[in-house]
Amino acid sequence: MPASRPLVLLAALLLAGGCRKPEVTAYEVPSEKDPDLGLAPASANNTNAGTETPATAAPAGAPMAGAGMANTAVPVAEGPGLVWTAPAAWQSKPASAMRKATYAVPGPGGAEGDLSITAFPSDVGGELANVNRWRGQVQLKPVDAAGLDGVVTRWSQSGLSLTAVDFTAPNGSQRMLGAIVPYNGGTWFFKLSGPAAAVGSARADFTAFLHTIRPAQP
Amino acid sequence: MRPLTRQFRDFFVSLELTVILLALSIILIFWATLAQTDLGVWGVQQKFFHSFFVLQRFGGSSFPFPVFPGGYFIGGLLLVNLLAAHFYRFKYTWRKTGIWLSHTGVILLLVGELLSGLWQQESQMTFTEGQSKNYAESFRDNELAVVDTTDPKVDKVVAIPEALLAKGDPIQSPKLPFRIIPKFYTPNSVTVAPALAQGQAASMADQGPPFLRQFVPLPQPVTYKEDEKNLPAAYVELDGPDGPIGTWLLAEELVTDPGQQPLNMPPQHFDFGGHSWKISLRATRHYRPYELTLLKVTNDVFPGTNPPIPKNFSSRVRIHSDDGRDNREVEIYMNNPLRYRGLTYYQYQMDKASNLSVLEVVSNPSWRLPYIACALVALGLVIQFGIHLFAFAGRRAAARP
Repeated sequence: MPASRPLVLLAALLLAGGCRKPEVTAYEVPSEKDPDLGLAPASANNTNAGTETPATAAPAGAPMAGAGMANTAVPVAEGPGLVWTAPAAWQSKPASAMRKATYAVPGPGGAEGDLSITAFPSDVGGELANVNRWRGQVQLKPVDAAGLDGVVTRWSQSGLSLTAVDFTAPNGSQRMLGAIVPYNGGTWFFKLSGPAAAVGSARADFTAFLHTIRPAQP
Repeated sequence: MRPLTRQFRDFFVSLELTVILLALSIILIFWATLAQTDLGVWGVQQKFFHSFFVLQRFGGSSFPFPVFPGGYFIGGLLLVNLLAAHFYRFKYTWRKTGIWLSHTGVILLLVGELLSGLWQQESQMTFTEGQSKNYAESFRDNELAVVDTTDPKVDKVVAIPEALLAKGDPIQSPKLPFRIIPKFYTPNSVTVAPALAQGQAASMADQGPPFLRQFVPLPQPVTYKEDEKNLPAAYVELDGPDGPIGTWLLAEELVTDPGQQPLNMPPQHFDFGGHSWKISLRATRHYRPYELTLLKVTNDVFPGTNPPIPKNFSSRVRIHSDDGRDNREVEIYMNNPLRYRGLTYYQYQMDKASNLSVLEVVSNPSWRLPYIACALVALGLVIQFGIHLFAFAGRRAAARP
């Protein structure tokens, strides 16, 4: 078709002009200090792979691009996720990286528990590793596979299998209520932690809350 | 006139071409609107509008096929069509001044959109109170930064765009005494502590702090969503004249625990060839010859609202230029951006709890064009209708007995 000839020529011309080639650049800037991320103790103490991850490593001191602002993509978030119903007294806070939701759970005397809901690809090392990681966070000794059933409560609802824990630090100051829910090839974590008084007073609410967890599309 | 030249002219001045292009643009906009569900605004802009062709992969094919003309193609042709028709068909008389002005406005609008697409650069500046920055960071582009830190006063930076890492070919720069060999690259990942990566391939890194080198990047699907950022990760090997120096794991964020905030991966230091170096994967940086210091972040809420309803977000910053010409304080808040040396700084995000503010930095040399274009179109229409109105009123007055 004769009319198509100019069109093809123009398309080729536009296409050739539109390609931008990425190039290596070199420049000089005033010397910069690296941000202090509080990683030093972690790097000294965690040279071996193990179940104890450096939970004490503080969140980034100087957030850079995207940190805490954009959500990190995880595949479980791509498909239909889990939904739940939270008590009205719990104050929802903005979700941040990895966190699907965050709630401030009020307790007696102004004390506050922090409830985080996160979704993570894969089985995240397996149930035993996860339970022991949580135990480590409240200074409890790890349990072995045989002892696992003694420290968790399991039940099923809405086609989901929940594994719940209730750990209190040996000195009684901190407490953690948690549930691990495998779903859609990933793992969801529901963790309420904070001062023992605040977490303890919210125990009944938390258990009721766990029973509301269900897939978004059954 | 030669037949080929006439063919070109007839093609470009034809009204049929205009109608076909307008119809194609309607389909493109409709398709792009539907695609926003999966791709988000930015993804749709890149795929449908800032492209000459809409590319699509079929089945498992790695080669993208052009399936539809993109925004640049349709817009470009419309522009050529409009210009050609304008100069070929329209003859200037004073009675057509309005049409001329309106057409010039539409042409300017099309040119402005093209230039914005090509020139506009968006980045962000994130800082906490008291912190100073002389660079902004890209929202989406990342770079491998290899920095010679030997001189305590000056960092000599070699920045390698992510696209070159993705290609996988060895990268060489006359500024570096070694080659960079990308051994593994993923455009989006969750890079996790070894305890979280059981059952996954072990880390390939043999350099860097022992704590960092054990982290494992788990590749994730690329995200196009507005509020999500792709977090690339790579293993790169540095290859000196005497053989390999070692392999580093590079990522932007590290996840130590699913319940904790990820850590920002710090640059990793090493010595080679009598020089000190640091290497990192980071958001692409755009340095400026001045720095901004965040003095104060303010987040006012309407009194008596619970949950609190935000009333105002503002950042007080000090501009300090390298040449000493500027050293002043400015307030940046909604609808009151800072325009400085060709860039516009908007208040973008804020976290009062950690005294953190994020400014969006936009560079768009053609930002005035749409305003001028709209003014021209409006003026043209007023003149055109005015001429007709006065002519009509004149005829009516003349016809009155």
